[in-house]
Amino acid sequence: MPESLICAGCSLLCDDVTVGHDDGELRLEPECALGAAWLAARTRAHGDGPAATIAGDAVDLERAIAHSAQLLREAQRPLVHGFAAATIEDVRAAVTLADRVGAIVATRAHAQPWPGAPAFALRGSSSATLGEIRDRSELVIVWHEDPETTHPRLLQRLGFGEGGSATRVDGPRTLVVIDDRDTATARRADLTLDWPSDRDVEALAELFDRFDGVRHATIVYGAALAAGAGGQRRELALHELVRRLSHQHHVVTLSLAAAPGTRGADDVLAWQTGYGGVVDLASGHPQLVTATGPLLEHERIDLALCVEDDPAALADGVPVISLSSVPVPAGAEVWINTAAPGVAAAGTLHRLDGVPLTLQPPWPSMAPPAAQVLTHLLKATDI
Amino acid sequence: MTEIRISGGAIHDPANDVDGEIRDLCLKDGKVVADVGPGARRIDARGMVVMPGGVDIHAHIAGPKANLARKLSPDSRRTDPLDRSELLRSGTGGLVPSTFATGYRYSLLGYTTVVEAAAPPLAARHVLAELRDTPMIDKAFLILMGNNQVLFELIRESGGAVSPQLRDAVAWWLAATGGYGVKLVNPGGVEVFKQSNGDVGGIDAEVPGYGVTPRQVLEAIGGAVHELGLPHPVHVHANDLGVPGNATTTLQTMDALSGRQAHLAHLQFHAYGGKPGGLPRSRAPELLDYLAGHKELTADVGQVMFGDAMTMTADGHVSAVLRDLDGGKWVNHDTEVETGCGIVPFTYKSGNYVHALQWGIGLELFLLGDDPWQVMLSTDHPNGGSFMSYPKLIRLLMDRGFRDDQLGRANQKAIKRTALRDGIEREYTLNEIAIITRAAPARRLGLRDKGQLGIGADADVTIYHDRADREEMFSTPRYVIKGGELVVEEGDLRRVDDGLLLSSRASFDAEIERVLKPLFADRYTVSFDHYPVRDPALREPAVTVEASP
Repeated sequence: MPESLICAGCSLLCDDVTVGHDDGELRLEPECALGAAWLAARTRAHGDGPAATIAGDAVDLERAIAHSAQLLREAQRPLVHGFAAATIEDVRAAVTLADRVGAIVATRAHAQPWPGAPAFALRGSSSATLGEIRDRSELVIVWHEDPETTHPRLLQRLGFGEGGSATRVDGPRTLVVIDDRDTATARRADLTLDWPSDRDVEALAELFDRFDGVRHATIVYGAALAAGAGGQRRELALHELVRRLSHQHHVVTLSLAAAPGTRGADDVLAWQTGYGGVVDLASGHPQLVTATGPLLEHERIDLALCVEDDPAALADGVPVISLSSVPVPAGAEVWINTAAPGVAAAGTLHRLDGVPLTLQPPWPSMAPPAAQVLTHLLKATDI
Repeated sequence: MTEIRISGGAIHDPANDVDGEIRDLCLKDGKVVADVGPGARRIDARGMVVMPGGVDIHAHIAGPKANLARKLSPDSRRTDPLDRSELLRSGTGGLVPSTFATGYRYSLLGYTTVVEAAAPPLAARHVLAELRDTPMIDKAFLILMGNNQVLFELIRESGGAVSPQLRDAVAWWLAATGGYGVKLVNPGGVEVFKQSNGDVGGIDAEVPGYGVTPRQVLEAIGGAVHELGLPHPVHVHANDLGVPGNATTTLQTMDALSGRQAHLAHLQFHAYGGKPGGLPRSRAPELLDYLAGHKELTADVGQVMFGDAMTMTADGHVSAVLRDLDGGKWVNHDTEVETGCGIVPFTYKSGNYVHALQWGIGLELFLLGDDPWQVMLSTDHPNGGSFMSYPKLIRLLMDRGFRDDQLGRANQKAIKRTALRDGIEREYTLNEIAIITRAAPARRLGLRDKGQLGIGADADVTIYHDRADREEMFSTPRYVIKGGELVVEEGDLRRVDDGLLLSSRASFDAEIERVLKPLFADRYTVSFDHYPVRDPALREPAVTVEASP
């Protein structure tokens, strides 16, 4: 009997998925390579591994929490970060702990400097949920991203191609991909423009001149827009352009969050502290960190608590406490096995467009969710 | 639980016709009781003013819109930090404070109940999660239904009448989200903005593609809420907000709603004479006249306060207009099927004709009406100004000398076009303040145990020093008691209360799900089965107020 599943394989959080067995293999319907990989990693982890490890040696949960609490008490400059697969409940608990111990909090996207946050705070943005784009946008422009690889069902859910969701747009729709690479997404485009990634975003205005009859358009972008030299300027330019185009068209943007937990983590951080991005709680109140160098060096981090993410995303050199439903590479000082959100644990995630969804775990496990571990850790830390 | 005897204070409890009577008030097990034992804690309130805890009927404190506004305005909070303590979480203030700071600061002002006035149903989980992190106050949220394409279909099918299906759908949506009441924002107009950047153009224009008019939306959904007997009537942000001449639309809206209970939000923004594109003038007196003849209608004012504000609304068209006026930051976010969202930081300047007129119109609505039960205090936080400005607003209403001084600093051309030009003698009494800040909002929300201090009422009580400077008095209550526990003492939080979620419940025929399911499949990108919020961690602890048809 197939189980209903909200897939957390990427930030699209497809909630029309079923999972069944086929010759002993788990199979997702509709098929999705990312979803299958996400599920396989978490069902493999669902076996008989240890509850926790310290320096690679199996220990029980209580000992791991006690040791982690000791590390947190001794740390001068702890960092709480990650959240790639974390639920809202996990992040709420993590920020609560960070507030108590005076840590820096950084979401995955912000573990390295992320110029996008300042761009939003400087000018704002125009955005929409997936359904708005599917049912209104006659023109969808993808700027140097390859969602066919990173968000495999995005185009389908926006109503493009065979098997795409039904759209309510009357008349033709055009998919434009701007990329100088040969990508799977580019191959599906109605029009491809091989502009280099550092080309001025302003050039998009020319494109709108060609499509001046469209009433509604969407620009899809991701980390590539703000990456590298001039990244913040490019992102600012995009939002400035959207604002200008909005006098003639209804123009929205869709930002491709890299991981399923990223959007929600930033949202929780913002509502609990007032700031998104990287927030320093060491002074006793939230302060926005606008570091332009790698956090570990810039902020002299001496302990990292990584929540539902790959701790290797940070540079080596600091002890790591990892709460993860997937066994982490050797090297973590402490690893605590958690129940995988969406597979073994319930919880809420925010889709890339901000829509919140509650994960329905088909196979609840004995392992605790990260939120529960963090709450115990807060008590044990006793600061 | 704690037993408390508040001794010798002047009780202002207008819901029970108590106006400054000096007597004791007893609290036990979270309720007002007739008496308590000799071991009860005694609070000496001699020389002090005792009121029910404040009830804010219309504010924007939680959800995706508020959170985008936080991210948009780090600059406004950098200088307003809130330190953590053994008792409290850290946070930041500014125009849109972090969630913990929101709860703490409302409590420090003596408020114990707040309504988030505009939540997209699709984002209910987000709203609920933020409200869970907003301590000290009981909170409710209103769900946006005035531009819901599924409801448009049902209204079109019924020819604009209140059909059983529409009634059931409204009740279903409340059950699915945990919402308390129904909000209509620029009915039909938000959908038109999402289609074409435009607006619907009056309440009798058809929404393209749907065959319904704003009037039909008002009458059908307002009627459905009325027939369901929800504790709070339909809560309406009328069409044409901010447009010179919009008082005509507002009068038409009130006329469409008349004969059934309804609440008009931030009436000040809908009280303008003049012509679109021209300079506005005040038509507040006409709206007050209409209200005087229609006791089934109420309003909150949406007072503008000079200084910084954060406009945030489901009415994306309004934000686009402000964007072009101001040239500053702008956020737009369109939510499928249901609503829009716009955010623009804004500054109201006393020397600006339009801003001064808005300020004056708000005061006219407060001061020219004869029934404070009908016109309640709000700044449409943070649209007209922060809730932190309520004490100053109260002083404007209670202190003519202060008001006249402030009038003198405002744009005189604007003031001359209001009834304030010759000065208005009226000064609100403490009981009238108690009406517009507690008793009337609670009654209008159908919260029978709030906003009053009769036996059995919730033990939410605020005790003030009776100071001549009313702004100072209402800025720093001497004591605040929430749910029978002392939570604030002389400007300090003493105890943290999580606060309750207030939801309402109306019965509906489960068959409505068979009607809604295919409409959802056509329009939403979230499946019907995954739409309702079922997680107890989000919906509890809650008090559910039953509808009474």
